[in-house]
Amino acid sequence: MADRSTTTLDKVNASLARRYAKERRFRRMGLVAIATGLLFVLLLFTSIISNGYSAFWQTHVKLDITFNAEQLGIGDARDFEALSSADYAALVRASLKEIFPEVRERKERRKLYKMISTGAPLLLREMLINDPSLVGSHHAIWLPADDDIDMLVKGQIDRTLPESARRLNDQVVGWVDRLTENGVVAQLFNTTFFTAGDSREPELAGIGGAITGSFYALLVTLLLAFPIGVATAIYLEEFAPKNRWTDLIEININNLAAVPSIVFGLLGLALFINIAGLPRSAPLVGGLVLTLMTLPTIIIASRAALKSVPPSIREAAIGIGASKMQTVFHHVLPQALPGMLTGTIIGMAQALGETAPLLMIGMVAFVVDIPGGPLDPSTALPVQIFLWADSPERAFVERTSAAIMVLLAFLISMNLLAVLLRKKFERRW
Amino acid sequence: MNEMTEGHTVKRFDEEMIFLHRLVLEIGGLAQDQLKRATQTLNDKDPSAAREVISRDQELNALDVQADEELINLIIKRQPMARDLREIITISKAVSDLERVGDEVRKIAQLTIHVYDTDGSPPNKQILRDINTMALFVGEMLEMSLTAFDELDAARALEVIRLDSELEEEYRSALRRLTTFVMEDSRTIGHMVDVVLGLRALERIGGHAKNIAGYVIFLITGSDVRHESLERIEAQII
Amino acid sequence: MIVEKTAPAEDASQVIHANFGGTVGDLTVAEPRMTARNVNVHYADKHAIIDVSLDIGRHEVVALIGPSGCGKSTFLRCLNRMNDTIDSCRVSGEIMLDGQDIYDKKLDVVPLRARVGMVFQKPNPFPKSIYDNVAYGPRIHGLAEDQSALDEMVEDSLRRAGLWDEVKDRLQQPGTGLSGGQQQRLCIARTIAVSPEVILMDEPCSALDPIATAKIEELIDELRQNFTIVIVTHSMQQAARVSQRTGYFHLGRLIEVGKTDEIFTNPQHKLTEDYITGRFG
Repeated sequence: MADRSTTTLDKVNASLARRYAKERRFRRMGLVAIATGLLFVLLLFTSIISNGYSAFWQTHVKLDITFNAEQLGIGDARDFEALSSADYAALVRASLKEIFPEVRERKERRKLYKMISTGAPLLLREMLINDPSLVGSHHAIWLPADDDIDMLVKGQIDRTLPESARRLNDQVVGWVDRLTENGVVAQLFNTTFFTAGDSREPELAGIGGAITGSFYALLVTLLLAFPIGVATAIYLEEFAPKNRWTDLIEININNLAAVPSIVFGLLGLALFINIAGLPRSAPLVGGLVLTLMTLPTIIIASRAALKSVPPSIREAAIGIGASKMQTVFHHVLPQALPGMLTGTIIGMAQALGETAPLLMIGMVAFVVDIPGGPLDPSTALPVQIFLWADSPERAFVERTSAAIMVLLAFLISMNLLAVLLRKKFERRW
Repeated sequence: MNEMTEGHTVKRFDEEMIFLHRLVLEIGGLAQDQLKRATQTLNDKDPSAAREVISRDQELNALDVQADEELINLIIKRQPMARDLREIITISKAVSDLERVGDEVRKIAQLTIHVYDTDGSPPNKQILRDINTMALFVGEMLEMSLTAFDELDAARALEVIRLDSELEEEYRSALRRLTTFVMEDSRTIGHMVDVVLGLRALERIGGHAKNIAGYVIFLITGSDVRHESLERIEAQII
Repeated sequence: MIVEKTAPAEDASQVIHANFGGTVGDLTVAEPRMTARNVNVHYADKHAIIDVSLDIGRHEVVALIGPSGCGKSTFLRCLNRMNDTIDSCRVSGEIMLDGQDIYDKKLDVVPLRARVGMVFQKPNPFPKSIYDNVAYGPRIHGLAEDQSALDEMVEDSLRRAGLWDEVKDRLQQPGTGLSGGQQQRLCIARTIAVSPEVILMDEPCSALDPIATAKIEELIDELRQNFTIVIVTHSMQQAARVSQRTGYFHLGRLIEVGKTDEIFTNPQHKLTEDYITGRFG
């Protein structure tokens, strides 16, 4: 008896070392896996941030602008029409001419004028339209530089390269250096990036239009997918009889969640645009397509939330004579709502990041104007990224990364909101 | 032992019940032996043996205390129900009845000491004859009631109850005979009180045997028959 | 000799079903509150309750005991049609409440469940305040005309459940923050707030410590003055303590029913005896 127990103990002890070693190995493998994951995330973030952070600043040049009525070519007229069609570029040209009087040749002059963004005259126009009394006055105004100048100042253009291999020749580089010496070149916060729509000129391009488009599309999605999804989940989980039909529906919903999103785009194209005749490129259609795509996610998450409400709560309510409806709406739904909201937010985050179905319904168009409503043609944030990623200009590279940063910020804050909601409303009983 | 004590899911419960059951039989056996010995001392005119019988009653008392402790422990641990509960109640009551039997036996032994350990003349053998016959009779009753308990024999228990009324008769006629002796020979009056007390003790032992038989019937049928008439008890068993 | 062995449990159950000659003991009472006659319950292909008939008297506590899976809880749930919520469950036979068939197609289950309330095994207060827990029943049934009447009902129910003194200063705190025993008494208060005639209790103390259990048992004894109580319990001592009549269920059958003291001192059926003396299985 004593013999046997000691041998058993010995055996246990002998295997103990191996068991612990196994455990340690497993733990190390887990750590390695997590470290690898973190490394990749870190890599992604550093690459995006290092590429993109500079896009939040834009090189501006301070020019002395005299709102000369003669140069503007408006004479004595101060009305809106005259002001809006005036020649503001002439003001910029005049100012530059003053700084660089030695530049006389037409070709060189054109290069000189090109240093300032083609958006600068628009800026001046806006100033004047807002305040016509400025005519005749003299102001030092920060005007955005052209994207190539911007890149040069940000050091993205390598000065050591031979002149022919650069986008800017030595003369222009010299001008920029002179301006810098004069202290009239500065990097200002790039508000344009957040407010403007798309543009061919990187310094004028912004994600404002894309964000508005995404906002309208998501609004449509939220308004449709949340009520429909939650209602479907409640019906299927609480009211529907369990039979082959509901099983079939359940399987199909689960299958829908796995359908590639581009298929939803095709469906949207056929259904909403070709059959229903809704306008192309509209956030409304985008929202409808995204609704189709997010519905399964929301339904599945909502059903899981409903399932996780303990049956004892239902029994308690039914036991004192609450009807099915009262049981669900007084007790089950409040318990399940945080879970449903989490599911919805995650579904919405998914929709926000979705590109493929939007390509199919034409939300990939080049849209300069900021959409004023869900029926205006528009693009969406991820599609904008997709578009910019294709653009050849060096300045679009940093803008693409910046747009990705904005998109990631939205996604992370949405997921954070989901976590916070769950934390706040999660109850144990 | 029997279906009253065995078959529990908890095997320890069986063991405890069997232990208690055996304890009752042990106490019963001791009480019977005491009764026999006490009667023997009277026949042998041996007061010192009678003193031994009296001191041996301590053993009986010790067993009684032990039985009570075991019973309390078992109730705390097992919360007996139904027939277990009836068995426990029966054991508890039977044990205290048997302990009283021991007390009554002591009175018989006292009789021996009173009669043969004094300076006075020993009594006429005639007046002690009834003690002997009645002792045999109640000894038989005790034996039967214990067997009935051990074997769950309701018929035997019923027989004990029936015998008890016979014992009553016996007791009364013995008293009558004693009265006649006293009238014949008034010198015997000195021993008479002791003898009557002895007879009374034996009659009480018979009563305890009857009680035990009553508990056995309660144990088997679940109904309390102690204060019922014999006919009604018979009706219940059958 | 080689004997083919069959599964013993199946064998035993077949023997029991084959030899069953009807419930032992008197299943009727003089003025019953509820009567069940030949109740059968099927779950999908399982015959969970077989021909059970039982009367439940007024102001009495009836305890249902039996091994796990014997059907006692299922039978209890038939009494207020809680089994309706299970799709595969079919109930046949007749169950009357005050002479009215509760399985009548025309009968509405919502008022039935207000008349026959239920307390569950695990305390299940709503994740709301103590006040709202108790007020919920009166609110949905529209029992209180105004706020003060509702306040009164809540206080009265909590008092009757013996909980008032412990919670009167924290009525707005969540009911889930109470101790297990208090939660169960809160559930009882919630049930009696709608003034049912019958209260069904499904192992109400199985999740509670002995002191909390004792309080519930004391409460059951007091509630008997105003309500009829049917309690399912695994504790035979509890059944013996709180009930006046006891029924023993075995494999879906009501084997024996009778006065509690008789059942626990002198049961008539061998199965009952074996179960309550711990000789089962």
